[in-house]
Order: sequence, then C-alpha cells, then structure tokens
Amino acid sequence: MARDRSQREDFTTPLRRLLIGVVCLCLTAIFLVWRIDSPRVERFRAQVINTIVPNMDWAMAPMTGAINLVRDFQSYQRLAEQNRELRSELRQMRAWKEAALQLEQENARLLDLNNVRLDPRLTYITGVVMADSGSPFRQSVLLNVGARDGIRDGWAAMDGIGLVGRISGTGQETARVILLTDAASSVPATIQPSGQTALIAGDNTVAPVIDFLENRDLVRPGDLVTTSGDGDVFPAGLLIGQVAADPSGRLRVRLSADFERLEFLRVLRHHGVEPIATPGEVVAPVQGAAAPQLRPEADAAPGASSGSDDG
Amino acid sequence: MADLLTSRSWLMQSVFAALCMTIIFFHLLPLSTLPGQWPAPDILICLAFAWGLRRPDYVPVLLLAGVMLLSDLMFHRPPGLLAVLVVLGHEYLQRRTAGLREASYVGEWLAVALTITDITVLNRMVLFATGVDQAALGPILIQMLMTIAAYPVVVLVSQALLGVRKPAPSDGDGQGGYG
Repeated sequence: MARDRSQREDFTTPLRRLLIGVVCLCLTAIFLVWRIDSPRVERFRAQVINTIVPNMDWAMAPMTGAINLVRDFQSYQRLAEQNRELRSELRQMRAWKEAALQLEQENARLLDLNNVRLDPRLTYITGVVMADSGSPFRQSVLLNVGARDGIRDGWAAMDGIGLVGRISGTGQETARVILLTDAASSVPATIQPSGQTALIAGDNTVAPVIDFLENRDLVRPGDLVTTSGDGDVFPAGLLIGQVAADPSGRLRVRLSADFERLEFLRVLRHHGVEPIATPGEVVAPVQGAAAPQLRPEADAAPGASSGSDDG
Repeated sequence: MADLLTSRSWLMQSVFAALCMTIIFFHLLPLSTLPGQWPAPDILICLAFAWGLRRPDYVPVLLLAGVMLLSDLMFHRPPGLLAVLVVLGHEYLQRRTAGLREASYVGEWLAVALTITDITVLNRMVLFATGVDQAALGPILIQMLMTIAAYPVVVLVSQALLGVRKPAPSDGDGQGGYG
C-alpha cells in the first residue's frame, strides 16, 4: 500500500514533470523532423509498417474473410432478386461478348497490318491487399510485395480492369498504394475521344475530380479517361474510368476499378520513357562526339526518374 | 499487498497495450477501400483518457506516448503531433480532475469533451501553421463528435468488463496524493 501511495505522489514530483517534458519534446522533435525531412521519416514509417503488419497477417486475413462472409450472408437474403438481376445482366453480357470478340479480331487484324509492337516492358507483379490506411482521411492500401520483389516508388497499381493508384512508400516486404481517391493523388490523364488532357485529382470521395481541363465543352459524360503518360509518372493508355458530372455540374471520373473490394492488385513495372534531350538528333545524327555520349545518359535516366517519383 | 498492487498494475498496463494493438489491428483490416464513409470515433483517445482518469498507474506516460506514436505511424498521420497532443491532454485532465475528488460523471465527460475539442483544434492549427495538407473540416468534426459520444461507452465497458474504477476510499488513502 505504501508503495502504491508513493507512486501516486509521483504525479506532482518534478521528476514526473521532467519525464513528461522529455516525452513531449521527443514527440515534437519527431514531428518537426518529419516536416523538414519527410522522405527519411516516411522511409522509417514504411520500415515500421513492414515489421508490424506482416506479423498481424495471420490474424488479419481470416478476420477480413470472416467479416466479409457475414456481409455476404446478408446479401444472400435477397438471393432470388439478385438471381433475376444477374440473368438479365448475363443476357446483355452475351451481346457485349459477341461485339467484343468481333472487335478483338478486328483490332488484331489492324495491329497486324500496321506491324505494331506492344510495349514488351509492361509486365506486372501481382500482390495481395493486406491492410488499408486505417484512417478515414487517407485512402491507401498495403500490398504484400515490396522492394524484395523489385517494387519501386511511383509504379502504377491496377486491378483487372482499371488504374487503382500508385506505389508510394516501399518496405522490404510491403508497399503502400496511394489510391486515386486519396486527397494527395493526382494523375495526368487524357480524355477520349476529344484528346483533352487533364489532371485526375482525388478528394476523398468515391469519384475523383477532373482538374485543369482546357476546354470543358469538348468533354461529355461517358467519355473515356486514360492515363496520358505526361510527366513520366505512369505509362500512357491505362484505363482510369469514365467521365461523369456530379449534381453541381462538376466533372468527375467514375472509376473503372472496383474500389469496393480491392483484393489483388497488379503493379506495372515501368522503367520510364527514354528521354530525348536534343530533338535535332532524332531527325539527323549530328557530327562529332555528341552521338556516343547519348547512350549512357539514356540508360541512366530511367533509374533516376523513377527514384525521384516518391514524395 | 503492495506487490499485489504493483503486479496488478503491470497486468493492467499490458492489458491496455493489448487493447490498443487490437484497436489498431481492426482499423487496418481492409474491409472497405471506398472513401466517403462515416469516420469512426477515435477509440484510442477515449481509452487513454478513460483509463488515465480512473487509474493513472495503468496508463504510464511512456506507454501512452509509444502507443499514440505507433498509431500515428500506422495510420499515416503526421508522426508525433497527435501523440504529443494526447499526452498533454492526458496530463491536463489528470491535473484538472485531481482537485475534484468527487467529480460527477457529467463533469468528467465535459472535461474530456473539452480536451478532445482542444486536441482537434490544436492539431488543425499546427498542421495549418506548418503547411501540411489536411482533410476536409466536415469529417474531422464528425469524428470529433463521435469520439466524444463514444467516451461514455468506453468508460462503461472499461468499468464493467475490465474493472477499471477509481480507487474507492476504502482502498486506503489511495487518492491522498492528489489533493
């Protein structure tokens, strides 16, 4: 009892005040260091997450599965209704499938005619979603692939259909994907068929905003939004979604990827586009020593450009 | 008796740490990756205040700071800022309620609500002053109100299930050191 009492009296002693002061000072210092040298602290954060979250995975996967099972069970209750909907959808899909097959054949024929070679370097690594950001104000997920698997900051992550986000923060075994819906995400995009370029900026809602559009009149709801490859962030031509107008008339993107349940994501390997430093050399080789110098520069550039993407 | 008490306080400290880890764990479950849902209350803060006001020896400063810093790191918040605010709020609450030995429950809730509001406002002000990108004000306010509303529930559960109560006068002069 005496000991208990002495512990309580500690609350007013200078020693305890000193302890609190030191703790607060340390925490403030961490915040300030983060503010000043963000990449270093973010790397540290990635390491902390990398050590903790994989240890939780044994419990996380079954827990998520169980909760999703209960949710699915609730939806089984309207099974008959769903069945009817699915049948009508299936009929529509059959029609679409025919159209798609025809288009595929046509596309293959045209590609063959033009002798087009698709970018062979666009391969991907598939990862499983382990955890989400844990905060309602940040939209990101954690994948179970990381630097060990060759993942680099800035690469694009897709589900089977559309773009989901980009890698930002890689640990040894984990990588964080900042989703398109996060407020910190913005992606250069092209809107087809008008060819307008814009920036797709997340704002913590389901549908990101289309920003910096040059001519709004050329863009209509339903138009296709794909990445433009500007700024060398992403490879060009990845599907993002369709244009939609919200009630206030603002243009947004209805995302093609199924954000409701992200389970597996593909991370596209992207080593950057080789830069063309002096346009004149594309047209005709220049005399002198300029030509041999070009190659090492071009080889070194992809590593440098993907390294500077984080942040 | 003293050994029994310290071992119990050790036990409850580890229970506190385990509870916090469980809360972080549930936050991280990738149940829904859709944005725009109602922000959940910050149970960690509720737990820290509820336990700290009842049995300060169950929530030592270092443990609290560690847990909050970890949650800052895990939830992608600016590291350290919310942690320092919660530690300060925790201290403030303990000083404030130290005098009110017989503080009514409503009084405690009001004090906690005030502290949570202060933490939210200060957090926002510091982030604004240092030029960090912030979430919209609406969801943050909703989260703050939900946190305040969740506090009584956390207190009830802590008292009923885990037996975290203020030491009664019959436990000796346990609270004598406050006055």
